[in-house]
Amino acid sequence: MDITFKDVSYIYQENSPFAHKALDNISFHITSGSFVAIIGHTGSGKSTLLQHLNGLVKPTKGEVTIGDYHLSNDKKIRNIKELRSKVGIVFQYPEHQLFEETVEKDIAFGPENFGVEKSEIQSRIQEILPAVGLPKEMLERSPFDLSGGQMRRVAIAGVLAVKPKVLVLDEPTAGLDPRGQKEIMDMFYDLHQKQGLTTVLVTHSMEDAVKYADHVIILNKGNKYMEGKPEEVLSDQKALNKVNLDVPEMIQFLLAFEKRFGMKIPYERQSVQKLAVQMQHLLKGAES
Amino acid sequence: MNEYMIIGQYVPGNSFVHRIDPRTKITIIFFFVIFVFFANSVGSYGILTAFALITTFITRIPLKFILKGLTPVWFLIIFTFSLHLIVTKDGTVLFNLFGWEIYSGGVIQGVAISLRFFLLILFTSLLTLTTTPIEITDAIEDMLAPLNKIKFPVHELALMMSISLRFIPTLMQETEKISKAQSSRGVDFRTGPLKERIKAVVPLLVPLFVSAFKRAEELAMAMEARGYRGGEGRTKLRLLKIQSIDIWVYLLFTCVIIGLFLLRTY
Ligand SMILES: Nc1ncnc2c1ncn2[C@@H]1O[C@H](COP(=O)(O)OP(=O)(O)OP(=O)(O)O)[C@@H](O)[C@H]1O
Ligand SMILES: [Mg+2]
Repeated sequence: MDITFKDVSYIYQENSPFAHKALDNISFHITSGSFVAIIGHTGSGKSTLLQHLNGLVKPTKGEVTIGDYHLSNDKKIRNIKELRSKVGIVFQYPEHQLFEETVEKDIAFGPENFGVEKSEIQSRIQEILPAVGLPKEMLERSPFDLSGGQMRRVAIAGVLAVKPKVLVLDEPTAGLDPRGQKEIMDMFYDLHQKQGLTTVLVTHSMEDAVKYADHVIILNKGNKYMEGKPEEVLSDQKALNKVNLDVPEMIQFLLAFEKRFGMKIPYERQSVQKLAVQMQHLLKGAES
Repeated sequence: MNEYMIIGQYVPGNSFVHRIDPRTKITIIFFFVIFVFFANSVGSYGILTAFALITTFITRIPLKFILKGLTPVWFLIIFTFSLHLIVTKDGTVLFNLFGWEIYSGGVIQGVAISLRFFLLILFTSLLTLTTTPIEITDAIEDMLAPLNKIKFPVHELALMMSISLRFIPTLMQETEKISKAQSSRGVDFRTGPLKERIKAVVPLLVPLFVSAFKRAEELAMAMEARGYRGGEGRTKLRLLKIQSIDIWVYLLFTCVIIGLFLLRTY
């Protein structure tokens, strides 16, 4: 589903001494099927922006369009439940939303609410468990007896079980071990490609942004600061430093390499091994 | 979520009212509440209303914001007003409303009681609006200190109060967060039959309780780790001290009270 923000502003607690403008005149377009990373310093409005995507909040000003659904301040949205079944959000620290007696019931909670049949839910659970890295034995356990990382995986499974068309991820790997982070991100990327999902990822990891996204949007204090291809936006060291962000290590390395040897290697998501071979070729070529 | 809920909320500021000693504020409010019940004439009501409104004005908190935040209270006020209007049968008949005869006494009674109610709510909310929860509990601990003599756990009571006050906004935030997460999973808190809506509360309450207990445990541990062991021998970071502005406030309030009794009819 295509997503469009048109001049969107959002004010928390409007008309009170606590009024706070969290989003300021934001416009952008996300094409169906793309992987978009939203980056910004803490408090820049990322989570607020995400809540517009399934109608949890309505823009104070402007209009948000998701597929055929329109959100604006003066209109009431029809079929909001339908919209929510199509846009799955994995919130920041989603493990706080667990409540059922068993892991199985908690994963089934979302699909049940959206009217998915029992047998279908069962087959989805069987499919999702290995993907999120949970053993089958865990289905019968209480979600509150699990470790933090396992709880996170259960919560993610609960969102995936709805089979959304748009997957919205708010720092889904924050606080996981490095290995777990990579597993989960790879799983999301795999789903994104196999099922043709539109994915919106909020992250603090520049590495993840440059590795997975085809488009990045950088927010600063509620404003859109930069937007474009990751390899372009994320190599602008000066602009990024201004808003307390860093260039991803890989690109930093390529820039340093260019400075040192005067040879440019374009970043095209190559693996470290591939890059080593490229460098070897270039440096050997320079010698001879 | 009602974003305008202001009961118990503190609005930071540096107005005259913000700077009054919290003990003074509590004392004044205590007597104000009592004296509101002594008002029985246009003049005495006028003086109290003027006093409350002027105080509100001095706080620099927009009256509109306060009035809006008291929405739940408005229903009560309108309800009491209507009740008096319909039930009281004093004075002359003014007009006929849908078959009910409205008496002049009813209107007067209705206005008086609603105004009383409004003044009480407005004035007491001014305390929490201009005083931090810490100041309020410090003041209460100080004012209840004599009870220590009869082994009443004043410090513990004050601590419990300040912790609860401190965590009200946190719990509200948490509620909002979890309700958003569950709404995204298809829970409908707003529409549908009552039975379904009651059932919808479970996915909200369970995580809320779990996190509240977890938070309480962590707080207790953090306090112990930092050497907290009760009130005995504990000194205070902020010392409460009566200043000249407090004296002025007391003098002014005494004038208001004298005015009130002069204008009262017997
Ligand atoms: N419920 C709320 N009421 C009032 N203000 C809020 C609320 N939620 C967020 N804000 C404010 O809006 C701004 C943007 O918050 P938001 O949660 O969108 O930031 P974020 O970019 O997601 O930050 P982080 O990286 O820390 O998650 C912040 O300044 C925050 O204080
Ligand atoms: Mg956030």
